[in-house]
Amino acid sequence: MPPFLQFVTRRFLAVPISLLVITMVLYGGVMLSPPEARATLYMPDNMPPRLTEEQYKKIEENIIRRYHLREPFPVQYYYWMKSLFDGKWGYSPSLNEYVLPSLLRRTPATLELAFYSLLLLVPLGLVSGVAAGWRRSGWFDRAFRGLAFLGTSTPPFILAIILLSIFYINRGWFAPGRLDLPYILEISEGNFISYTGFLTVDSVLNGRTDILGNALRHLAMPVFTLSIYHWATLGRVARVSVLGEEKKEYVIAAKARGVAERKVVWRHVFRNTLTPSLTSMTLSATSIVTGVFVSEIIYDINGISGVILEAMEGVPDAPAALGFAMYSVVMVLLLMFVLDVAQAILDPRVREGVLKT
Amino acid sequence: MKRLPPYFRRWQNWIGLLLVLTYVFLAVAAPYLSPDDPKKPGPFMRVGRAFEPAPLPPDEKAVLGMLPLGIDIYHALVWGSRDALRFGLIVTISTALFGVIYGAISGFTEGRVGGLMLRIADSFLAFPPIAGVVFLQQLFLATVSALGGFYYSGVIYSYSDTQIKATLIQSLLETINPLMLSLIVFSWMPYARLVHSIVITLKQTDFIQAARALGGSNFWIIRKHLLRNSTGPAMVLAARDVGGVVLLQATLTFIGIGGDSIWGEMLALGRNWILGPGGSILTYWWVFLPPTLAVMLFGIAWNLFGDGLSDLFINR
Repeated sequence: MPPFLQFVTRRFLAVPISLLVITMVLYGGVMLSPPEARATLYMPDNMPPRLTEEQYKKIEENIIRRYHLREPFPVQYYYWMKSLFDGKWGYSPSLNEYVLPSLLRRTPATLELAFYSLLLLVPLGLVSGVAAGWRRSGWFDRAFRGLAFLGTSTPPFILAIILLSIFYINRGWFAPGRLDLPYILEISEGNFISYTGFLTVDSVLNGRTDILGNALRHLAMPVFTLSIYHWATLGRVARVSVLGEEKKEYVIAAKARGVAERKVVWRHVFRNTLTPSLTSMTLSATSIVTGVFVSEIIYDINGISGVILEAMEGVPDAPAALGFAMYSVVMVLLLMFVLDVAQAILDPRVREGVLKT
Repeated sequence: MKRLPPYFRRWQNWIGLLLVLTYVFLAVAAPYLSPDDPKKPGPFMRVGRAFEPAPLPPDEKAVLGMLPLGIDIYHALVWGSRDALRFGLIVTISTALFGVIYGAISGFTEGRVGGLMLRIADSFLAFPPIAGVVFLQQLFLATVSALGGFYYSGVIYSYSDTQIKATLIQSLLETINPLMLSLIVFSWMPYARLVHSIVITLKQTDFIQAARALGGSNFWIIRKHLLRNSTGPAMVLAARDVGGVVLLQATLTFIGIGGDSIWGEMLALGRNWILGPGGSILTYWWVFLPPTLAVMLFGIAWNLFGDGLSDLFINR
């Protein structure tokens, strides 16, 4: 097997292990509650509207017996894991539907936001960090350090408040949500075919540039909010990994051979910074996903976090919360895997199997 | 002239230390700086009219102005820093302690077991604390309702006459709030990874070999040498984390997911006057600016303080 594939499979095999550990911890958390509360995880959707207390107790007792909710942890954990494969993940009383379909339906909105943010912040962070670190204390480095300091010390939700109050309330250039109301109505009428769920892609496929423009107008603020903070953190790591690199032998050798400095930086030095930078991003993948949820909630985008928003005010909803937790773990693992693969593609040392990571 | 300790060679570190000390002072002196209303103690003290819907600008009754419903901003700000500091310190000290011990053990054992321990720690990296908060809260609510009651603003009510019996999750969440618990459970991994790698390099050094040759027990070596040598870097990480967890707490409080940051709640209370129709951060600046600056400076303070500690412990 070529080293690249070896690397990717090894990383991919780590995913089920992580899932196993996390699900055990999660179910361990569920075990803190009594069996009667655990039974709500398996409640059917066709409950009759009016139930006497005895009837409800009977249903509850049935579920407890069927899913072995009074047995020790391993048994319960086994039955819960088995129930995850039914594609429902429990019935959520606050959403009035099964949790997994609801999560899947909301996924494209979340992915669209995350995708454009990463597309903006990863190249920008790497390039600006390398450029700043190469000419240490030059004008670009100083500007970069100032901006990065601002970026990391402004919490995203505060940036969101400022952006919303200037560009939405005061100027009206950008807006929260995903689309303007007329377009939402038009789409719900059914002339707009949803191929991918990404509004920006679907609008192009449907040949509607006006919807594309509108979707971008709504995406601008959340994408900016999300990118700025992580751009700054990524850029800083890239900058630090470039410092001192100009004294390394490979750089001196390349310069001595008469390679242009521009080429030395972007061909050789740049690639060496990829591994530490992307690794640091992998380690903070949860903070990126958390940032996506926060942006969604502040900017009123009905993504995955919409599942828990309704649960937070109203009927207690353990299935929705558990499903949300599971699903966000899957998203983080996916993001980590994508970053790992990107690193493998870009770093020749991983590709050739020299660097064992 | 005597050389200053490495901490004080950069002006940024001075600012960091100064800001941190300011917050500590505010936190300690809160009861003197802004005494509680004896009839209704709490961070949100009412100084204006209770049914005043609009936030009122600064005047002699409220130095920094009021939030809607006549709540004093200065009072909430001062008590907020006490709350934030307490939250940040409890979370970071517990995560750091657990992570450092875990990392020391996994680094010391190495081999299969140590590798497995590190693998488990890495798995935890995939869990966003925001999901943990929601999960714990909903589990608690489901428990209360399954036992025949409901929960409203801090009190458990029962539908029937029977007292609701205390359950494990209930007693747990009553002593420690869900955000704190989920942050502690899901953010100790960086410490473990850091200490793990330090311990692995230290084990090769002569002085550990010497300690072993002296016949020192494993426990003694870990406690006396390995832990002591990894406290510096762990403290740097911890100092930066204090700011980070408080920012996260304020964020989650503001968006209404959980947590009870007073600064976050101040912004949430004033939200309609800065983001609602007719609202503006320029017109109602006193609603927006104080809590925002408090949160931002808190983050900056601990970050600079952490950089200073790293000058002291790591790049000396």
